Amino acid sequence: MKQPHPPEEFIVLTDVVLITCVVQRGMAEEVVEAARQAGAQGATIFYARGTGVRERRLGLLSLAVSPEKEVILIVASTDQADRIFEKMYQAGKLDTPGMGVIYMSPLDKMATHVPKGIVERFAR
Amino acid sequence: MVQKIRYGDYLGLARTRHKAISYNAITSWDASHRRRPHLRSRDIYRLLAPYVGARALEQTRAVLPVVLFLVVFQYLLFQGRIAGGAAILAGVLAVMLGLMLFMEGLKHGFMPLSENIGHLLPVRASYGGVLMVAFILGAVATFAEPAISALKMAGSLADAAQAPVLYLLLNVHADAVVLTVAASVGLAVLVSTLRFIEGWPFKPLVIVVTLPCLALTAYMASDPALAPVVGLAWDTGAITTGPVTVPMVVALGVGVSAAAGRGDNSLSGFGIVTLASLFPPIGVMLLGLHIAASGESLPTAVAAAATLATEPDIPAHILAALRAIVPLVLILWLIQRFWLREPTQHPDFMAYGVALAVAGMVAFYVGLGTGLAPLGMQSGSMLSAILDSRHSLYPAGAGLTIALLFALALGFGATLAEPALNALGLTVQTLTDGAFQKSTLVYAVAIGVGFGTTLGVAKIIFHIPLSWLLIPSYLLALVMTWLAREEHVNLAWDSAGVTTGPVTVPLVLAMGLGLGQATGAQDAFGILAMASIGPIVSVLAVGIGLQARERFLRLDLFGRAR
Repeated sequence: MKQPHPPEEFIVLTDVVLITCVVQRGMAEEVVEAARQAGAQGATIFYARGTGVRERRLGLLSLAVSPEKEVILIVASTDQADRIFEKMYQAGKLDTPGMGVIYMSPLDKMATHVPKGIVERFAR
Repeated sequence: MVQKIRYGDYLGLARTRHKAISYNAITSWDASHRRRPHLRSRDIYRLLAPYVGARALEQTRAVLPVVLFLVVFQYLLFQGRIAGGAAILAGVLAVMLGLMLFMEGLKHGFMPLSENIGHLLPVRASYGGVLMVAFILGAVATFAEPAISALKMAGSLADAAQAPVLYLLLNVHADAVVLTVAASVGLAVLVSTLRFIEGWPFKPLVIVVTLPCLALTAYMASDPALAPVVGLAWDTGAITTGPVTVPMVVALGVGVSAAAGRGDNSLSGFGIVTLASLFPPIGVMLLGLHIAASGESLPTAVAAAATLATEPDIPAHILAALRAIVPLVLILWLIQRFWLREPTQHPDFMAYGVALAVAGMVAFYVGLGTGLAPLGMQSGSMLSAILDSRHSLYPAGAGLTIALLFALALGFGATLAEPALNALGLTVQTLTDGAFQKSTLVYAVAIGVGFGTTLGVAKIIFHIPLSWLLIPSYLLALVMTWLAREEHVNLAWDSAGVTTGPVTVPLVLAMGLGLGQATGAQDAFGILAMASIGPIVSVLAVGIGLQARERFLRLDLFGRAR
């Protein structure tokens, strides 16, 4: 078997954070759109199930909160992160109990396709 | 000198202010202050709007296509106007609201109970106990079925002189009919449970049950006094398998199946619905025989006017809804609490579910009387108006063609809109790993129902005895059952029960009655019965086709020899 030709070098991007947002099933599209308008370049969504602390204390109203959730993952640059975070919080209406949670965590690095022109311009 | 500012810092200054609180502080405080969060009115709106919206949309999608079809058809082809359009619109809206509330109530009030019982019963109760609960569950669920009330509304239309036994059944012994149907469904669930435990194959069972059923039908058809009962009897089979019975009974079946450790056949959880729609015809026919044999005379005061549109009598509806739902919940709860000794997890959710189900049923009853029944009746009588060549817009042959096409399109369209069928299609596609495509099943069933409805309408127009259509169709289905593979047989027979939902049943029943009244048919039942046999034949045909293709492909791959 022929080994695939190894790339001579690859680009690692630094100064990145991960924003994770958990919302009810069907809400993700809106939240991702808000993040995109705030500068996010992509989003990954997956399905999950779960309940939060507050929605269990809602009494009968907790029936209106679907335990089926969507988890949105967005990798953003540190400069944009706070703005994206805030816009997602607003779009997801997370100030209402039971609507979901959002958090941001630091990342060491990320790697993906980086256009050639950008590599030439920024690589040290 | 150039001053450098980090873009992120600039954005940080421009953003909404926020305060930081340590989560550590919250967790310790939260543990000692378990309080309901304070909700602003906008919070309540945000929580409720998607919840209500999704459920309203679901029912709208199920109800609207059929209703729109009837209305548009009446305008375009019959050039007729809908009498009392506002009342009908209000009624249809009430039906949608009622179904929405009822389904949501079902989900929170009944389903947790029946799922628990399905899981725990085979483990904690004896063999006899399981069978007893199966019987009770099937019987009581029938009372809670919304479409069963459509049967009672049909009562006033039977002609006492032409069809005395039918008249007695529907007017004097209406409660006995419902009881018989309930007991039959209970028995069907019992037999199905027995089948799951013992691992009986489905094919022989279907044949063993259907043959006596057909023999009884043939016997009834030979007696002119009893013949009109055949239509009613077979229609009850289609009516009973609705949104309450099917999920509850399937939950039980799946639990028993899992406990008996018979997961070998991918579609073996099916089959209960079939028996639940084959036993009621036998029960009702036997009841008819019994009444005829007892030689009961007709009541002297024959009911005067045949009115279908019952007055929206709210207190009576509330009473009826309570009578349908409360015993079911009570029995389920008692079984779970005192027999299986399992505590109720969310009593408040259950109370909410029951309250919603009762409210939904009341709204459904109101809508049935003011919306669905008159609409169906009008469609039926307009259908007969275009058949009458003397003062019709169309020549005789064209009128007949249009009437039959109308029936075909109605059956086809109503089936495509049925949410239960789409759910079944998805399950089947998953279980068969895509061998049986969802769209294949949905279209096969819809075509079957379409042709079935057409035959049913033709039966009323030409005064064909129902048994002439029913017995050959079922015999054909039995032959195909013999040829087809076990899992396709399960699927085909069950799809018949799935197609007749709480909207289709009253509409089609009322249409048949309207048509029957106008054409002077002896009994106007039978459309639903034909709409049930149609999909059995069509789905079996698809199954046999798939088998044949598989065999052909295998021959091709491995040469001429097997």
